[in-house]
Amino acid sequence: MAELGKSNRRWMYGAVVAGVVTGISALVQMTIIALIVHRGVGEAVPVRELSPLFLGLLAAVCVRALGQGMQTRMAARCSEHVRCDVRRQIHQHWNASGPVALGHFSAGELAREWLDHVEALHGYYARFLPQLLLALIIPSLILILVFTLDWLAALLLLLSAPLIPLFMALVGMGAEKLNQQHFQTISRLSGQFLDKVRGLTTLQLFGQTDAAASVLATRSDAYRRITMKTLRIAFLSSAVLEFFASMAIAVIAIYIGFGLLGYITFGPADELTLFSGLLILLLAPEFFQPLRTLSQHYHDRASALGAGAEILSRMNRLGRGSPRGGHDGQREDKPQDSVLLGAVGLCYRQEQPIFSDLSLSFEKGDCIALTGPSGGGKSSLLHLLAGFVVPDEGSISVFGKPPGSFSFGWLGQTGFLVQGSWADNLRLTRPDASDIAIETALTNAGLRPLLESRDAGIHSQVSEDGQGLSGGQARRLSLARIFVADYDLILLDEPTAGLDTDSEVHVIEALHKLAEAGKTLIFSTHHQALLTLANRVLLVSDGELRDA
Amino acid sequence: MHELAPWLRLIFQRWGRLSVGGLLLLITLLSGMGLLALSGWFITETALAGLLLAAGAQASINLYTPGGGIRLFALTRTVGRYLERVYNHDTVLRQLSDIRTRLFRQLAATPRSHRRGLSGAQWLSRLTRDVDALDTLYLRLIAPTALAVVVSLLMVLLALILFDTRIALWLGLLLGIALLYSTIGTLARTRQTSRRLSDGEERLRTHIIEHLEGFAELTAAGRTGKHAAWLMRQAHGFAKEQAKVDRRLGWNQALTHLLINLAAIVVLWAGFGLFQSGQISGPVLVLLPIALLGLAEVYAVLPEAFGKFGATEASANRLNQDSLDAPGEGTIQATEPPNGTALVATELGVRYDDCPPIFMHFNLTVARGEHLGLVGHSGSGKSTLADALAGLSPAFQGDIARLPTSYLTQSTVLFEDTLKANLLVGDPEASDTQLWRVLELVELAERFASEPDQLETWLGSSGSRLSGGEARRIALARVLLSPAPLLILDEPFTGVDSPTRGRICKNLRYWLKGKAVIALGHGPDALPDTDRVIHLIA
Repeated sequence: MAELGKSNRRWMYGAVVAGVVTGISALVQMTIIALIVHRGVGEAVPVRELSPLFLGLLAAVCVRALGQGMQTRMAARCSEHVRCDVRRQIHQHWNASGPVALGHFSAGELAREWLDHVEALHGYYARFLPQLLLALIIPSLILILVFTLDWLAALLLLLSAPLIPLFMALVGMGAEKLNQQHFQTISRLSGQFLDKVRGLTTLQLFGQTDAAASVLATRSDAYRRITMKTLRIAFLSSAVLEFFASMAIAVIAIYIGFGLLGYITFGPADELTLFSGLLILLLAPEFFQPLRTLSQHYHDRASALGAGAEILSRMNRLGRGSPRGGHDGQREDKPQDSVLLGAVGLCYRQEQPIFSDLSLSFEKGDCIALTGPSGGGKSSLLHLLAGFVVPDEGSISVFGKPPGSFSFGWLGQTGFLVQGSWADNLRLTRPDASDIAIETALTNAGLRPLLESRDAGIHSQVSEDGQGLSGGQARRLSLARIFVADYDLILLDEPTAGLDTDSEVHVIEALHKLAEAGKTLIFSTHHQALLTLANRVLLVSDGELRDA
Repeated sequence: MHELAPWLRLIFQRWGRLSVGGLLLLITLLSGMGLLALSGWFITETALAGLLLAAGAQASINLYTPGGGIRLFALTRTVGRYLERVYNHDTVLRQLSDIRTRLFRQLAATPRSHRRGLSGAQWLSRLTRDVDALDTLYLRLIAPTALAVVVSLLMVLLALILFDTRIALWLGLLLGIALLYSTIGTLARTRQTSRRLSDGEERLRTHIIEHLEGFAELTAAGRTGKHAAWLMRQAHGFAKEQAKVDRRLGWNQALTHLLINLAAIVVLWAGFGLFQSGQISGPVLVLLPIALLGLAEVYAVLPEAFGKFGATEASANRLNQDSLDAPGEGTIQATEPPNGTALVATELGVRYDDCPPIFMHFNLTVARGEHLGLVGHSGSGKSTLADALAGLSPAFQGDIARLPTSYLTQSTVLFEDTLKANLLVGDPEASDTQLWRVLELVELAERFASEPDQLETWLGSSGSRLSGGEARRIALARVLLSPAPLLILDEPFTGVDSPTRGRICKNLRYWLKGKAVIALGHGPDALPDTDRVIHLIA
């Protein structure tokens, strides 16, 4: 966790300092109240003479409020920094691990980490960490003050002090348990609910929604009962904290009362006055308050630790994925107009090399089709050429440069679109594209008829959440991006797989246009029409490569 | 505010539990305040008596009543706290269950066209964050506010009894300001931002998912960095706004606390006047200000709760939108077709959302027992047509009359549950023998007979891994199990290899005898045996 928030110590200590100021002004406030009562009631001083004390009291509560406000201000700033920082770190990891490694995880899950898990860190940095220090500092200050007033009373408080770590452990265990239980219940119930919602249409079709609702209700009731069993024990910890706090106050009050009456003949009790007695009483709740606040923030810690652990473990897993960057291919002697693979070796797992000693060369402007059984390494070869993965051995140079060091076109098996207009979608990879260029590109991808049915042309929405586009249309949208950006190198992974005939025709036609324009095309396919389009067909099988 | 109304009604259905929980909270709070106030009174009383005793005067003091009171408060505080926590959390969990069930029923009553377009991730955030905002509404917001009002009134009453009307009025004024400031004041300062933040988070989630889904394309185009920077700018703005809300909350909290402290100071100052004119005793003078200091405990939670109010409203709003309060059936009820026919569609017009119509003036009559094939390439709109025929989505013109229908949708939907539970959706009354028979039909009986749990085999991510074809066949089995006299099957054999498909077709010949079947597919070979085939040309 320290790793995630190391750059923000300054603000956190600021929050602690403000918290200490708040704590000290609370001590001053209580001291003045006790003094006022002592002089006004005990010594019957006229109220006018107490005015300076009242003014001091006013000042103390004002400073207290100021400190309190400053504390949250600093804490908010601290957590703002942490959140931005962690999100940036996550982005760096994503970028470093590349699309292939990232593709192994669900986008929704990664997005949840980037958004919700980082959000969960807030309470930890803004509340828990400063409070942890304050829970040490403020009770110590109070103890010192009480000690100067009456050492026996201080001893009473101190006796509960060794119990404080015990409290903490109890509270901690309780809170952690509570939190785990809560999250488990929530996520289990969410899972069930989500499952039912996803299949709602099916349930509606079979008229089973009522039955499903009853099942949901009974299951969540069963979970509630199990959870409550644990909670009954977990809440004992807060009862224990409350018990010690109230008992300490009660015992101190009675000790002081008897002491003031002179009934206690031992210890410092005969030196007690109304002032010191009242002050000790007023300080007792302040002694326990930081602990109580800490226990309230304990669930912040638990959820932040959970979230942080997941973020870090994801970062580690991604980090191991495939180190990218650090190419050594910047030598001048690489030919500028060809693609070269020299003795390339790649293996994801130790025992199963994908490629070993693979060599290949072809010219700029070639149209290469990769074919072969699935799992034979077609996609891996494309990933190598794209620079999405780095070979374990050998070297690759694309037009004299390391792969992935310049922009190129990529068409995966799923089209990708963002909420927004057609123009927004095409400008995603080419922000400076003109309206005319965009229209031409869409025409080239065979989307003209669809576009003409929309009122605002390229400025109309590509139907929100993509529902209005079929898979084939979405892929053609991606293809249009390639047209508009005018790349020299275009890599396509099964460009026609799973397409309807209409889209298939358009995709093949579009690829034909690209090949004619002298672009270098490399694609994996089983499709006959595409195989004939290529001027070289390579059979990729079991990590071997040969011309077909 | 109005978006919360249906949820508040739901929450207050459990008013009995809510009042008991509130009472426990009140007891806990009052015990804490009473403990300190009584102790203050006791110490002052004994100090004064001690002075008299020291001066050699006679003084009698009842030690047992206040001592007992102090011990009692310490006890009720501890027990009250424990009971309050257990009881109120139980209530929260019950409300969670209420809200989910209600949400599900609402969704179930909403036609599909109204709830399209939410991804799994969005649903998850609805279910965790948005429902959470509602199920803690009572414990975070309603209970503390009610508590603050009640205890403040009690304090004013106490001031009226122990002190005088003037001080009671002053106290009432100060506490009233503190109450308004911490609740409505916070609301006014944070509502808009908090609402905006809550909606902004949804947008940010969509953007980040898009970023991840297009990661390969963006990387190829060399745009990941730029796109990530754009996202980071948004996230930064988001965090800044959040920090602003946090700061405002912090100041509101501090000022509320200040007002409470001021109330205590004013009462102490004014009380001295009464004390010196002999109207009240010293111990009584001390009692009220100390009790007031304890008020901070309940007031402290108010600003935070009201600071989240805007977000809570936004959550409720989103949940309301997902499930429009349009009471009705999820599917469209159809009229009975004329004798001898299973389905009659006249002048049907079908379109997807607001896209141009796919079919116009579509007429179709299917006789009872007839097996009809509808063939069209993918993208020809046959699934949209199937949805309309099955009554899943409305046709924008024309009429459909049909017998009760069982419909296999194009997408395969299985639940995270046992095989048996998944099949029983088709016919809840079916016996195990019937289930095995229908599994035999789709050539899965052997597969599951060899599983240790047989019909109780758990399907889904945590259970037995099914291939796409196996899942499809289970979905088909479920539809076959249904007693409905009309079956609509959209691409029944997706992912099923052709030998298996052939065997299933043969099995079905007998089973489907007497039932009307409309089977849709991209080619005649993707369909079970048919009496006639219609080719769709969009």
